[in-house]
Amino acid sequence: MPKATIRNSIRRLRFEHGEMTQQELADRAGCTRQTIIVLEQERYVPSLLLAFKIAKAFGTTVDAIFTLQEA
Amino acid sequence: MALILWIIAAFVFAFGAFYFPVRWAQRRLPPIALPPGESMPVTALQRLAWRTLIAVLLLTLAAAAVVVYSGVEAWWEKDAVRLTATGLLIAALIVFALYMSRVWRWMARDGGALDERDRAILVAAPAGQGPAMLVTLAAWMIGLVETHQSTHMIHSAFLYLIFWSCVMVSVLAQLAGVLVGYRRS
Repeated sequence: MPKATIRNSIRRLRFEHGEMTQQELADRAGCTRQTIIVLEQERYVPSLLLAFKIAKAFGTTVDAIFTLQEA
Repeated sequence: MALILWIIAAFVFAFGAFYFPVRWAQRRLPPIALPPGESMPVTALQRLAWRTLIAVLLLTLAAAAVVVYSGVEAWWEKDAVRLTATGLLIAALIVFALYMSRVWRWMARDGGALDERDRAILVAAPAGQGPAMLVTLAAWMIGLVETHQSTHMIHSAFLYLIFWSCVMVSVLAQLAGVLVGYRRS
């Protein structure tokens, strides 16, 4: 099966939303700042629940933030 | 080879068995790039696991030092040695129980100190306990056989020491599993 990765644009969206800090986003999404850091570095794939919470924090949809990239 | 050397060899082997797979997993992940002068923030669970690990490790090493310094026979014959070492080990278990009770309280509360990554790390943390206990038992078996082969008998105090070492290794492996989990993702 081809290996797939999930890319995200959280970092770009934070800066587009008034330079929102990682801590602010973590508070809005209900997770730790460390989780936001590893998400931005694409070391961690969030659950659907967290993905929806992040999308809600940015006022957008999940597929506008997360995209599937197949190798 | 003296029994203590076998135990040290087992610890070195167990450390390697823990360290190299973690390094291998880390190499497959993209590196964490943080702004200059900034370090990775520590989560509440990570901080608690570190403190508990240090406390449990120090108490365990103190108990081991009492037994090694006094000798295995003293464990059996002198109440003071047995009570001191057992007291230190029970104190370590109480520290671990306090850690677990706080973690369970955090787990029960939604939107508390733990997020989904913390919970996933907690669920995966016990994975190292079984292998760590197997390594400990193997070290005892090889060490005791090699050092007591000629006499065909071992002191019954070793049964207690084997039990306690397995319990403490299991506790330490669980705590190490939490800390390693943060490095693997």
